[in-house]
Amino acid sequence: MKKVVFAAFVGFWSSIATIATLHAMGPAEAPPATARDGVSNATETTGYTLEQVAEHGTLDDCWMAIDGVVYDFTTYVPNHPTPAFVLEQWCGKEATEGMRTKGYGRDHSPTAWGMLEGYGVGPVRDQNEGD
Amino acid sequence: MPIGFFAVGLGASDFSSASAILSMLGRLAGVAGLALLLLAAALSARVPGVDLPFGGLTKLWRTHHLLGAGSLLLLLVHPLLLAFAASAWGQGLAFETLFPPLSDRATWAGWLALLLMMTFLAPSFAFFGAPNYERWKRVHALAGPAVIFALLHTFLFSRTMLGPTDTIIWSLFALLGVGAVGWRLVFSRRIGRLPYTVTRVDLVADGVAELSLRADETPLTYSAGNFVYLTPFDPGLAAGHREEHPYTLSSSPLEPELRIAIKALGDASRAIQTIPVGTSVTVEGPYGCFFPPDSKAKTPELWVAGGVGITPFLARMRHLQALGERGDIHLIYAVQDEGRAVYAEELRQLAAEIPGFALTFHYFFQEGPMTATFLGTACLDIARREVYICGPLALNQLIRDHVYRAGVSAERIHSEEFELL
Repeated sequence: MKKVVFAAFVGFWSSIATIATLHAMGPAEAPPATARDGVSNATETTGYTLEQVAEHGTLDDCWMAIDGVVYDFTTYVPNHPTPAFVLEQWCGKEATEGMRTKGYGRDHSPTAWGMLEGYGVGPVRDQNEGD
Repeated sequence: MPIGFFAVGLGASDFSSASAILSMLGRLAGVAGLALLLLAAALSARVPGVDLPFGGLTKLWRTHHLLGAGSLLLLLVHPLLLAFAASAWGQGLAFETLFPPLSDRATWAGWLALLLMMTFLAPSFAFFGAPNYERWKRVHALAGPAVIFALLHTFLFSRTMLGPTDTIIWSLFALLGVGAVGWRLVFSRRIGRLPYTVTRVDLVADGVAELSLRADETPLTYSAGNFVYLTPFDPGLAAGHREEHPYTLSSSPLEPELRIAIKALGDASRAIQTIPVGTSVTVEGPYGCFFPPDSKAKTPELWVAGGVGITPFLARMRHLQALGERGDIHLIYAVQDEGRAVYAEELRQLAAEIPGFALTFHYFFQEGPMTATFLGTACLDIARREVYICGPLALNQLIRDHVYRAGVSAERIHSEEFELL
């Protein structure tokens, strides 16, 4: 048992050191390629009302409005590093608070904000604006 | 229980990609690791009697040790799996998962808990050589803050289980752990420890002393072969003042005073050999369930003692003699040489006085490790006996193998080791 635990201890720090070294040596990462596509899509559309966003309120079809932009996170849901139910409560909603606080007062990282762009589908449109 | 509730919160999306599975396993490792950590904490309470379902305190410590090891292994894997899962979205995210901005208190509380765990468990698993008892004990006290930071980490995230179950389940587990620490730090000191006074110190042999203790208030209720934690209060002691150490009781429960045989194995047990008569001590216990509770030998028994492992057997012999009981018992006492056979005279005398009792000595320096032939010649009907072994780990294992091959089933072999870990 002692040997197993010690081996795990050494393995843990080796892995941490590897991740840190790769990070230090790697180039500054550009946002994923899909992000830019997303932005262009977003700008091309005329936008969606919050009511339209609310129609996509499940994990299988999950839209959110964050800081005035509507995102379709359906394909991203499985990759979010929390249980799905954490995201589910924000599907179909204005989720700026969730993005800014993660539910416990902590903002998402700049990388996470950068990743948003890949999922943008258009701006939030005011209810009163014509189609 | 936490794993069950964790599973309820899972959905198809948690299995939809390699990264999702890694992330789910990472969270699962965290949930299981924290549950094991809190169970290990709860077991550390050492409430007298609670050790019995585990087969005595030494076996309970073994369970505690395994839970601690399992918890550390899972919690080491936990952040790595989450980082690997995040790396699917770029190396930067793997690094950021492990080392977020300082404002991310939840993650840093987790790191602090894990670093404290590595520190307090390093001596337990002899990372940097075997530690001495006192240093181990001081470092192990860091388990308290480690548990607090681990809970803080989980409560801040509060996302391991659905809705309020997260808070409810972890609060229950936290209560168990806090209750255990509370018992140790507050109640066991006030109500668990009985005050006694040293009335006699007999040097039984070189490096072995037997202390006689008189109860200042309520005397301890115990069975022959139990052990206690003894704390001496004498600033003049070279070591061990106010430190608790486990020792086996060597007296019969019928005697008016407690007797404790102590072999000088470390600084504190060496210092206590010369403890002055009149010193105040406290006794906490009793622990252990080596022998069946009523101490009467109803079935034929074979006892094998190694060195100072003779103590629980001596206690039982003294008790049988005090009760005037007979017993079909064969005791084999393994020591290095005749000079180290502590209590030899008293054992011979007791063996002669208890009807049906047989005693054989085994000298390691003359005969080497005890063989199956030696055992079979000394005791002709091993297969029909209940077997009790107390001695160093190597001897316990050796005798266990011999008697098992001689036809004694595993559930009829009982052993107690002095090594607590």
